[in-house]
Amino acid sequence: MFKKVLIANRGEIAVRIIKACQEMGIRTVAVYSEVDKNAPHVQIADESVNLGDPTPSESYLNIAKIIDNASKIHAEAIHPGYGFLAENPDFAKACNDTSITFIGPTPEVIRLMGDKIEAKKTIAKADVPIIPGYHGVKQDLSTLLAEGKKIGFPLLVKATAGGGGKGMRIVHTESELEQSIESAKREAKSAFGNDSVLLEQYIDKPRHIEFQILADQQGHVIHLFERECSIQRRHQKIIEETPSPAMTPALRETMGAAAVAAAKTVGYTNAGTIEFMVDGHQNFYFMEMNTRLQVEHPITEATTGIDLVKWQLRIASGMELSLKQKDVIQRGHALECRIYAEDPSNGFLPSIGTLEKVDLPNGPNIRNDTGVETNFHVTPYYDPMLAKLTVNTENREESINKMIWALSHYVVLGVTTNISFLKKVLDHPEFRNGNVTTHFIDDYFHDWLVTKEGLPLDALIALAVYDSLHTQRQEVVRYKEADPHSPWQHVGRWRMGV
Amino acid sequence: MSMFINYEHNNHVYNITVERRDNQFYITYNNNEYTVIATELKPGQLSIQLGDRVIKSIISQGEESKFVFIDGNIFKVKRIELTGRKKTEKREGDLHSPISGTVVSCKVKEGSPVKKDDVLLIIEAMKMEYLIRAPYNGVVKKTYFKEKDQIEIGQLTAEIQKKEEVNGSH
Repeated sequence: MFKKVLIANRGEIAVRIIKACQEMGIRTVAVYSEVDKNAPHVQIADESVNLGDPTPSESYLNIAKIIDNASKIHAEAIHPGYGFLAENPDFAKACNDTSITFIGPTPEVIRLMGDKIEAKKTIAKADVPIIPGYHGVKQDLSTLLAEGKKIGFPLLVKATAGGGGKGMRIVHTESELEQSIESAKREAKSAFGNDSVLLEQYIDKPRHIEFQILADQQGHVIHLFERECSIQRRHQKIIEETPSPAMTPALRETMGAAAVAAAKTVGYTNAGTIEFMVDGHQNFYFMEMNTRLQVEHPITEATTGIDLVKWQLRIASGMELSLKQKDVIQRGHALECRIYAEDPSNGFLPSIGTLEKVDLPNGPNIRNDTGVETNFHVTPYYDPMLAKLTVNTENREESINKMIWALSHYVVLGVTTNISFLKKVLDHPEFRNGNVTTHFIDDYFHDWLVTKEGLPLDALIALAVYDSLHTQRQEVVRYKEADPHSPWQHVGRWRMGV
Repeated sequence: MSMFINYEHNNHVYNITVERRDNQFYITYNNNEYTVIATELKPGQLSIQLGDRVIKSIISQGEESKFVFIDGNIFKVKRIELTGRKKTEKREGDLHSPISGTVVSCKVKEGSPVKKDDVLLIIEAMKMEYLIRAPYNGVVKKTYFKEKDQIEIGQLTAEIQKKEEVNGSH
């Protein structure tokens, strides 16, 4: 096992990895940028290295700086966490070239899975279903029409350079196809300067369901069941759960086997996730593979009892996977919410400021993964996710209720968070029924506002008490004198008046 | 001694009066009077008895706003001084930063003339850019930020002297 590991990340994931290392007797090295010098991940690490300028490209994304520092302090391995350099093949290669173990798969696998079209082609060879479609370079109308008819209807015309729904058309019948291709092309041309489109079978009621896998260097691959991640806002997951309410034992077995086959085909090593899209008729399709630890890994840990980060470290150090597929058992239900510093009533814009108070809920089967604390300053430099809250219970309904309780006792003051939004989503009847798709937020929370009702009376009373307790006597006088023409001159009505 | 306080939340203003005698507070809001007994258990953590129920709340005081945690909900509230003078001034175009971030560029110099809607300052926060524009024609009287400066939400970015004021009217 390694003696010293550098964690090339920040926030909650750096904290989580450092703790796992320390439990295993591994010395840890945190890296930080100027604005993070007092951050929790730096405080708990055994050593730390200053990367300087907070701009990500100068700090957490600076391969040369990180590798150089890792060599200097004799770290044997680097854990990249998620985000930043976690799926950067050049970083993994730079580690290997410096004889530092990269805790993750090989640079070749990262590069292959990073190319979304090549990844699909490769995985399809392992008989894992991919969404039927046409991704070809021939873009003349007759080719597209012929390919469209082959795929069948409904189908999706999408701009190759696309994003944000621009240059996208759902085509329900053959008669609409020609006109839809032409208008999608026009829109794509003006939005992206490139009118090339792809055709794909349209998936009705799509769910995002992914499978966690672990693969050792000896060729053993197991899966650790699914995670349902359909609740997304602008392609960003916000609530994840396992098991998926859509899953049946038969589908789980088929999809688990497909995930293992996909990993084996590419010679995958370490922890990884295979993302599938599942339609309303239990058809599933490979979407992509995430070659790293996922944000939502705690729900898998909560239901299997397996520590994924510890296994990442063991596998990277060359140990064989002693867990067999039959040893991995899914028990109960787990739910995770991502706590973001963003303002739901202001278009979910990031909210920046000092956390005046952080007081997190705790109790049986409540897990807090957090990289912030009271007096932490949320800066504009990095992702606004502050923390993750995970609960696990016997079943889905209990988990939802426990999560709502925990969110109701989640005190983060100083920035605006998405907590009230999360509670509303969890309490939505369709969520409670398990009827979730990737369109859920758009379908039910499209024009949601936090507080239509305004400030409750109790809040006003609390504020008045607070300000009364915290205002100096002179200041009170000043307030009275400040505005002789205020509507408050009828002060005589005030029976307790002094 | 009574205090008159105005709280602003989501563009609504709430007028309150409060008077304290030891741990008893007499509060009026919307022509109703409430008598409560309150204790600050820890800094910012209040236990308030109103009739037969207890309001539990945690309040934090930031630079600009207060955050009130109550019943599992959090409200961002600003204490404001409402005077006739201030109310009219506020509408005249806001030169305060809408967000905390980094100043990418300051487009104007002190003394330079600006037209309405000219960009004065570009602020970047989390990969998004926000523009501060001139609310009216005039002359830049003062700029408070330069490139790469950190700016906090609510801070005044610049002052513009209105065109008619330049000629000595007002």
